[in-house]
Parts: sequence; C-alpha cells; structure tokens
Amino acid sequence: MKKLILAATTLVMALSACSDNKAPETVSTAEEKPQKAQKVVVYNWTEYIPADVLTAFTEETGIEVEYATYESNEAMFAKVKLLDGAGYDIVVPSTYFLEKMRKQDLLQPIDKSKLSNFANLDTDMLNKEYDPQNTYSVPYLWGSTSIAINADEVDADSITSWHDLWKPEFSGRLMIMDDLRDMFAMALKVAGKPLNTSSEADIKAGYEELKKLWPSIKVINSDSPKTPLIQGNVDLGVMWNGEAYMAQQEMGNVKFIYPQEGAVLWVDSFVIPKNAENVENAHKFIDFMLRAESGKAAIEELGYAAPNKASYALLDEELRNNTMIFPSSEDIAKGSFHQDLGEANLIYEKYWELLKAGK
Amino acid sequence: MARISKALYLTILMLLLYVPIFILVVNSFNASKYGIKWTGFSTKWYEKLVQNDALIQAALNSLTVSIIAATMATVIGTLAAVALYRYDFKGKKFLSGMVFVSMLTPDIVMAIALLIVFITLGISLGFISLLIAHITFCLPFVIIAVYARLNDFDKRMILAARDLGASEWRIFRLVILPLILPAVVSGWLLSFTLSLDDVIVSAFVTGPGYEILPLKVYSMVKVGVSPEVNAISTILLVVSLLIVIASQLIVRKDKTL
Repeated sequence: MKKLILAATTLVMALSACSDNKAPETVSTAEEKPQKAQKVVVYNWTEYIPADVLTAFTEETGIEVEYATYESNEAMFAKVKLLDGAGYDIVVPSTYFLEKMRKQDLLQPIDKSKLSNFANLDTDMLNKEYDPQNTYSVPYLWGSTSIAINADEVDADSITSWHDLWKPEFSGRLMIMDDLRDMFAMALKVAGKPLNTSSEADIKAGYEELKKLWPSIKVINSDSPKTPLIQGNVDLGVMWNGEAYMAQQEMGNVKFIYPQEGAVLWVDSFVIPKNAENVENAHKFIDFMLRAESGKAAIEELGYAAPNKASYALLDEELRNNTMIFPSSEDIAKGSFHQDLGEANLIYEKYWELLKAGK
Repeated sequence: MARISKALYLTILMLLLYVPIFILVVNSFNASKYGIKWTGFSTKWYEKLVQNDALIQAALNSLTVSIIAATMATVIGTLAAVALYRYDFKGKKFLSGMVFVSMLTPDIVMAIALLIVFITLGISLGFISLLIAHITFCLPFVIIAVYARLNDFDKRMILAARDLGASEWRIFRLVILPLILPAVVSGWLLSFTLSLDDVIVSAFVTGPGYEILPLKVYSMVKVGVSPEVNAISTILLVVSLLIVIASQLIVRKDKTL
C-alpha cells in the first residue's frame, strides 16, 4: 500500500507539472469567501491531538478546527504536493518527510515572533539537520524505535547493543516492524556503516546483516507491534516507544532498551504549507499547542514525548521518570534521525523486497 | 461421505467468513482495551463512542456518501446497461470495453487522476468531489451486473410489448425493469459496499471539511486503533444487515407480482 502510494507520488510529480498553471484557480475559489467563520485546517493522524485540547483551543480563540486525516506520510505528501501546498494550514510530517517538503518548496517559514510559547521547547529537539534553525517547523511529539522486551522471559541485562538481537538464543522469539528505514538503520549500525547512506555497497552490507537475522524473526508487524508482545507470541521486538508504553500499561513487566549504538529517533513537527489560507490562525494554533497544558495532555494521552520543558514540570513524577517516554540526554544524543534519501530510497526498497521474498 | 465433506466444506467456508466479524462484535463488548483477553462484559466503548463526535460524524458522512453514490451509480449504470443492450450506436464496442478498463484500473491511479481533474476544473475538495469519485468507481460494477442479467433475457418480450402498443417508457418500466430488478438491487448493494469501505480514492479526493470513517480508522495506526472502532463497526454491520434484508424483501415482493 505504502509502496503504491510512493509510486503514485512519483506520478504526481510528473503530472503536477501539467496542472501547475491551473493550481492558482483553486486558491482563488477558496479566497472568495473571506467572511466565513474563522478556522484552521489541520491535516494529521487520527486522534494524534487530544480532543480536549482542540475543544479548549476553539473555546478560547473562536477558531474552528477542521481536522483531516491521512494514514501514511507518503499519502500526505502526495496530496499536499498535488494541491501545491494549498488547502491545509497545519500538517504534521515526520522528520524525513519534513525535509522532503522543505526541499520541494512546499512550506512557508514560521514566524517565531508570533509564538509566545516557543521558549517552552526543549533545545534537545531543536535545530536538527532536517530543518536547521527550525525555520519551517515546530516539533510536536517525538519518539524512538528501539528494543522492547518482556522482562519475565528475557534478561534485560543481556541486551545492551543492537548486535544482541542476532544472538541465537532469541531465534524464533523476535519481532520486527515492516518499516524499511527503521530496520535498515538498525542493520547499518550493526554493520558499522553510516546511517542515511546512499551507497549501494553500504546498503548491501546492511542487507547481509538483516539476512542473517531473518531466520530468527517470528513476526513482522507494524500496525500494532505491541499486540504480539502482549499475547506472548514473541519475547522481544523492535518497536516504537509509544507501543512499548502501551504494552507496559497492559502487561506490566516490559522494558524498553536503548542500545549503546543509539536508537532511531523521529520527530513529528508542525509545518505550514506554502499556500495555506489561514496563516495567522495556524500560528495561533501552534502557539496554543506549545502551552504547558497542551503538551502535558498529549504526553499523557498518547505516550509520546512532547519536547516541552514547561509540560515536564506538570507531569507526575512517575511519568516524568519513565525512560520509555523520556530517554536520558545521553541516549538522545546517541540517537539518530532519518534523512531524506532521494533516489537512494529505491536501493533500500530493492533490498527490502529481496529480504521479504526470502532471498 | 460426499454429504459429510460437503457439510464440512460449507462449515469451514462460513467460519472463515464470519468468525472475524463475530470476534469484532464480541470485542466491542470487551472491557479490555486491546481486546486480547476477555476481561468482562462492558458497554463502555459504546458510551465512549457516543461522546466521540468526530467518529460519529465520520460514520454518518460515510453512510450519506455511500447511499447517494450507490443510488446515483445504480440509476446511471442501469440506463447505460439498457442502452448498451438495446441500441446500436457508433463506438458501442469501444464504450463497453472501456467499462472493463475503468473497473480494472488500480484505485491509486484513479485517485490521482480524479484529483487532477478536480484541481484542473477548480472543484474544491469535499463532499461533491468525493461523491463524484465514488459514483465513478461504482458505475462499471452496476453496468456489468445489469448487462449480464440483460443478456439472459428474451428479446422477443420487448418485441411483444411493442406489438401490443407499449411506448418505450412503458416497455422499460413494465417489462425490462421488473426482470432486471435483482441485478439492479445487487448492483446497488455492491456499490454501497465499495463506496462505504473505500480508502485509497477517498484519501485523495476528499477535503478537510468532509471526513469519512474508513480514512479515520485507517489513520489510527499511529496511536493504535481504539475499541470504539469495534463499537461503531458493529453498529454499521447492523445497518448493513438491515439494508440487505430490505433489499431482499424488495426483490421477493416483486416476484410475487
């Protein structure tokens, strides 16, 4: 499905050239009705912003929130690209899609002077390579991909490195996700190659490592990676921290381990598309989301970290100290982000397909 | 022996078809959040659902679009099938061939194509664009269902009706329509189902003001699908069942006439 959309995105790029001259028309039809009620159009994952926060925003500002959803970054990108950055006021892309949108000139700079709460942000999550100086983005939530274990079955001390997943004792007890970037990041670390590499030789080295790991894998699941762990189908798995957090809530003895080579980190950020209609309201919305209370609500409801120092102070001590949500500064520093790879994506795709085909 | 194996085969078939749905319905009453273990009977997901305006609105939007799209596709498709069957005109072969092409076009291609058309024509994305798209992809299924039925149909009946002095409209209403009604009804049901659970085309052609249920549910992968979805699916299942029963009654009533 994702691959289809990726292919479609390529098609979009080819076709959008033909429709470019017409695109402004849609913008003008939308502008014909300025006296409509104030609104902001948010394009995001379903329930990725707590409903109470949205209601509070509308009550306070009188701005209606129109919330539209997408089911993958690929689909979101294709649509924003085809609409030439019009129609939506806020989008929430993940790291490397943010980079891609920035490079393709689909975003507009965010005016920090309108964000009175910008200082609340944790500097650990600012000024990253995918958007230097945060010219175009404001981080909303972040998390990591790392190793979750059922501590009743697996000794937590036996895992300190990504290498440990290759140990024969875990054969047939392991789960991975159907996410080629995350899985290759892990394999490239094990192979000692740079992440975000575009060299086919490096990618092949990662592929060789994954091929060795393949027989040990019992389940591949990225729709709900927590489920096999909770069901006891697997004893350990590579998954997102939010999923591990939910598994911990359900079954208790789950540990989330950040390997010494570093976990894969991701950030979902607010951006404003280039031709957004309600730019002023979009800034108000972002500023509202940067409030301490909004960040707190998001952390508590979603189990991912909002990089908001003011929110940390409001959290329960137990939640604040849960390293599943808030890894230590050292673990953050060791972690790495995905970057937009451009054409090299195809090489990754090729090897990922080879793996899945069992070759 | 043959009877036993036949019964076994049917049982397995039925289990495959209905066990997943049964589990979903049961889980909508399960107190556990992840539905992995049974932790007790509860209606709390239904109570939560009632408060989840966004989800209910999306479900209502889905039903509205599906019913209108299925009805319009059925009307247009039935007329098209009758035209293809009864009349000879230039490009008829080409047209009936194209019906298959558009049916076999992958969703994603159709989605992008429709989106480009809407952008080019300046149609803003929302209910109207979604409806047009749904009618478009439902249409070939209706045409094919009705056309297949027409092909089994004795042409002399039309001639007889004309002999007896019936106008074209009366022939259609009193001869053709009653005979093809089962196909029309199944074409409608097929369209309704296709429209109700479409994700790919809808993702591209709907706008922010008009969210539909499959999109919302599909997008939940990020935070985990909530059990409220089981509840709303159960309700939709009941609605669909009622529609199927109603359609069966329509067909049956017609037969007794």
